[in-house]
Amino acid sequence: MRGVADVSNVGVAPGAWVAGVQSPEFKTLVDSKRRSILPMIVIYVTGYMGLSILAGFGRGILGIKVLGPVNLGFALIAGNYIMSWALALVYARISANNHDPLVKVVVDKARGGGSFT
Amino acid sequence: MNPITIGIFVAILLVSLGITVWAGRWTRTTADFYAAGKGLTAAQNGFALAGDWCSAAAFLGFTGLTALYGMDGALYAVGPLVAFCTVLLLIAEPLRNTGTYTIGDVIMYRMRQPPALAAAIVGTIVINLAYLVPQMAGGGVLIRLLFGLRYDVSVVLVGLGMTVYVAVGGMLATSWVQIIKAILMLGAGLILLLLSLKGVGFDPLVLFASAEAKAGPTFLLPGNLLKNPFDEVSLGLGYMLGLAGLPHVMTRFYTVPDATTARRSVIWVMFLAGAFFACTTIFGLAAVHYLGPEALRVGNPGGNLTLPLLAQYLGGGKGTAGGDLMLGFVSAVAVATILAVVAGLTLATSGAVANDLYVNLIKKGQVKESQQVLVARVTAIAIGIVAILLGILAEGVNVAVLVILAICIAASANFPVIALSLFWRRFNTGGVIGGMGLGLISSVGLALIGPAYLGPNAIWPLVNPTVVALPLGIFGAVIGSLIMGRDHEHEKRFDEVTFRTQTGLRSDYP
Repeated sequence: MRGVADVSNVGVAPGAWVAGVQSPEFKTLVDSKRRSILPMIVIYVTGYMGLSILAGFGRGILGIKVLGPVNLGFALIAGNYIMSWALALVYARISANNHDPLVKVVVDKARGGGSFT
Repeated sequence: MNPITIGIFVAILLVSLGITVWAGRWTRTTADFYAAGKGLTAAQNGFALAGDWCSAAAFLGFTGLTALYGMDGALYAVGPLVAFCTVLLLIAEPLRNTGTYTIGDVIMYRMRQPPALAAAIVGTIVINLAYLVPQMAGGGVLIRLLFGLRYDVSVVLVGLGMTVYVAVGGMLATSWVQIIKAILMLGAGLILLLLSLKGVGFDPLVLFASAEAKAGPTFLLPGNLLKNPFDEVSLGLGYMLGLAGLPHVMTRFYTVPDATTARRSVIWVMFLAGAFFACTTIFGLAAVHYLGPEALRVGNPGGNLTLPLLAQYLGGGKGTAGGDLMLGFVSAVAVATILAVVAGLTLATSGAVANDLYVNLIKKGQVKESQQVLVARVTAIAIGIVAILLGILAEGVNVAVLVILAICIAASANFPVIALSLFWRRFNTGGVIGGMGLGLISSVGLALIGPAYLGPNAIWPLVNPTVVALPLGIFGAVIGSLIMGRDHEHEKRFDEVTFRTQTGLRSDYP
């Protein structure tokens, strides 16, 4: 297709991608991302799918009043808004403070090694 | 006909046409046409994403659903925000790091085989048309209502507007139309929120108590709209993974310079659109409180006129200057919303046809830059014409099924293929075809034999088949990959994919 492979790898030394992926810096980056992203995925999938499943199969539970006229269902919906916004802020912060500098280390090393021009 | 509505509407139309002419002058290359020169800031793209994601279905629909069905409406509204968690954590940055203009680019980059790209093109076009037709039909109904025009004339007007935006101004014009629309929409939302709460002494609990008292004791419980429990689960699954497979939302990540900006634009949209969606729940309850449930059911099938009616009431009531002003403002914003969203959909579809199908699949990339832009513009016009024709045919058809279908296909066919392309070493062309094929066939097939299309004669019980179609899509993707077998040369390229996905190195080399 469209001689794509050629364009994409002009100026890339043979084996550079494999070397890049196997470098310790890259492993540090991927580990760090995985450690922060996986728990967040578990949190929002549990929070949101839990709400959706209760909406289907736990209608009585969601009807329990928790704050005046507001029932547990609406409280959990509000909780999902807060959860999403909190995760967004936490992820933005972790990415900017931890991941972005690690990406820079990997990219600088890959460029500095002369494998990518 | 309301002169204030017409005045505001004409003003919005003139401003957006001015932007389109201005953007047209700057649109020379394919990067300009499909991706606004990749020069948008995080805030600009965040507002444009909010514009894309708050379609009229969201703006008018969630409010109406809450007013008519209580908690199910609120469940519809919260999903799109949670959906952006998937986009933020898994999709936005990798997509920006590996693609150029379209979702097809990502598949092509990973697979390098024409059948894989062809499958991605089919998926994109089916989803976009399924999403586009109800928007056209909604626009036609709204303009007929506002200006007293015939339905088909209204659809032609919507189609003409969006075609001019896209064909002349490309992604730059489309983005700015979205940004302006998002600002207007958020402004309208803020005014309505303050007016809604002012009447109850800024205590939202009063709205809950009053809605329950007026609409009955089951109103605040789930299940008033989605009777089948599995439909609630399908709704959640469809949202959580479907958004990350909608082509017109995903192409927005190509308009920013890098993955960091893509990430920050997701944070923007999560706060802008999330806050707006939360407000639709308040609006729905406020409509029950102020107007009463009976008034909302008269001449308001599906509840789509709830928000304009509430705005009119809060502005001072029917026949007052304030009521007319608010009704006019909200209606004009709704029409602008439809125009902007259909423009975004048209652009994403023309990317799939012109860039993926014509340039990459048929011509193998051997097309000059200036010709590519020309082809893209002509394609946009052709899609505009197709959309107008389908929109006219859709009169009187229950179009709600199409929106559900679009999200279901996006979750069941597109999402597994995109995610596995980025993250699974053994994924291959067989997997793309298996996943797209099984996801697409099961979504479309089950939706067509379900209650959304066949009503009481349905053979299949669920309105939204995501809960079955998504596992089938994933199953097809895995089985397809295994049947095609391992190709060690191909798997070696996964190192390149991984490295680029994570670092963005050489992200603008296709």
